[in-house]
Amino acid sequence: MAHQAHSYHMVDPSPWPIFGAAAALLTTSGLIMWFHYSSTTLLTMGLLSMLLVMLQWWRDVIRESTFQGHHTPTVQKGLRYGMILFITSEAFFFLGFFWAFFHSSLAPTPELGGQWPPTGVKPLNPLEVPLLNTAILLASGVTVTWAHHSITEGNRKQAIHALTLTILLGFYFTALQAMEYHEASFSIADSVYGSTFFVATGFHGLHVIIGSSFLTVCLLRLIKFHFTPNHHFGFEAAAWYWHFVDIIWLFLYMSMYWWGS
Amino acid sequence: MGERPCGPRGRSPARSPSGPAAQGRLLWAGLHPPLLWAAPRLPRATRAIRPPRPRPSAPPLPLPPPPPPEALIAAAAAMASRLLRVGAALRLLPAATARAAPARHFAAPGDLATDEEQATGLERKVMEAMNKGLDPYSMFRPKRYAGTKEDPNLVPSITDKRIVGCVCEEDNSCVIWFWLHKGEAQRCPSCGSHYKLIPHELPH
Repeated sequence: MAHQAHSYHMVDPSPWPIFGAAAALLTTSGLIMWFHYSSTTLLTMGLLSMLLVMLQWWRDVIRESTFQGHHTPTVQKGLRYGMILFITSEAFFFLGFFWAFFHSSLAPTPELGGQWPPTGVKPLNPLEVPLLNTAILLASGVTVTWAHHSITEGNRKQAIHALTLTILLGFYFTALQAMEYHEASFSIADSVYGSTFFVATGFHGLHVIIGSSFLTVCLLRLIKFHFTPNHHFGFEAAAWYWHFVDIIWLFLYMSMYWWGS
Repeated sequence: MGERPCGPRGRSPARSPSGPAAQGRLLWAGLHPPLLWAAPRLPRATRAIRPPRPRPSAPPLPLPPPPPPEALIAAAAAMASRLLRVGAALRLLPAATARAAPARHFAAPGDLATDEEQATGLERKVMEAMNKGLDPYSMFRPKRYAGTKEDPNLVPSITDKRIVGCVCEEDNSCVIWFWLHKGEAQRCPSCGSHYKLIPHELPH
């Protein structure tokens, strides 16, 4: 180990950042090729390389922390700030889409019939599947908190049960939302209503999938004894992200599903 | 009182950034300049002892029956403090004598391992040092001393000199920087408080 008089982690040289940048380039240019020239080669290469970089980079972080012990309390504090800043940036990302929604719906234009929902658009009933989805995400917030308490008490069995339940609820949400997308009478092309609805709920669904994946990785690590009652920041970060996803859904439900119907 | 201005005009002409402490400077009685490096936590009667924050630990054997999820919601407020728990832990260095060592036990088979069993590398070194009340990696605020000739500010260093930044009075934005060398105690060129270098070993 390097000789140091501080408790920070000076990371060894790694190829993942530049490979990640290359993957981002392939993905973005791949999207252009797909949109304009109907070719998916570049996009597939981009998404595949992005996936490989993520797997290997985060695998290395787990090696450095759990197996090599580089994550001192000081390092953990930095990671906490980092995750909070990231989630804040995601909140601003969604803020943009909420802005678009309210801009369009508070003063509906004549092209829409001067009303919201626009003429001819039959919105989803907020008291049916969307309400169930709300209950599912709220329940998953409870189960992830239960898992957290179990971890701090060292209770591995209960933590595994609670985290598994959380992930299953997340999958249930995703499945129901996919079904709703299939069954909706309007599409993304149906005026600004369709645009704002599907872009906002679509990005939210993507974040649910990301959050579920994060929680699944935490479940695998929990089963393999990576976490201790005092040191389990990976799980805490996943739980924060999951709560964030839940809160975004609540805003989506209240504004687009309920008020907007 | 207005703030002491920074820069050449605001500095004492007797400033000596290296070598023995400046002579003829009046010591400001009763002032305790906050320091900008970490000092070792030496056991002193005058030191304010903060009570160690109760740390979450696994319950003793046999484990109590698991609480229902509903009851856990009521405890969520306590859990919210975990958000920056590590930040809180970094602010408190438990006194060596008052250490209850809640993390020092072995988990029952089938439970999650504790840090005591599983921590490794630098994390383990930091944990063991904290358990003994030491701060070899300068993670905490430096200890404050009277700064007099009899009770100088002790500055640990792994070499023969270290930079000191003296904030002479509380809330001063002008920090007085100078090299502190091994040997006789030096004095801050601005407020005259005494500083002495204490050699200590590289942590690892």
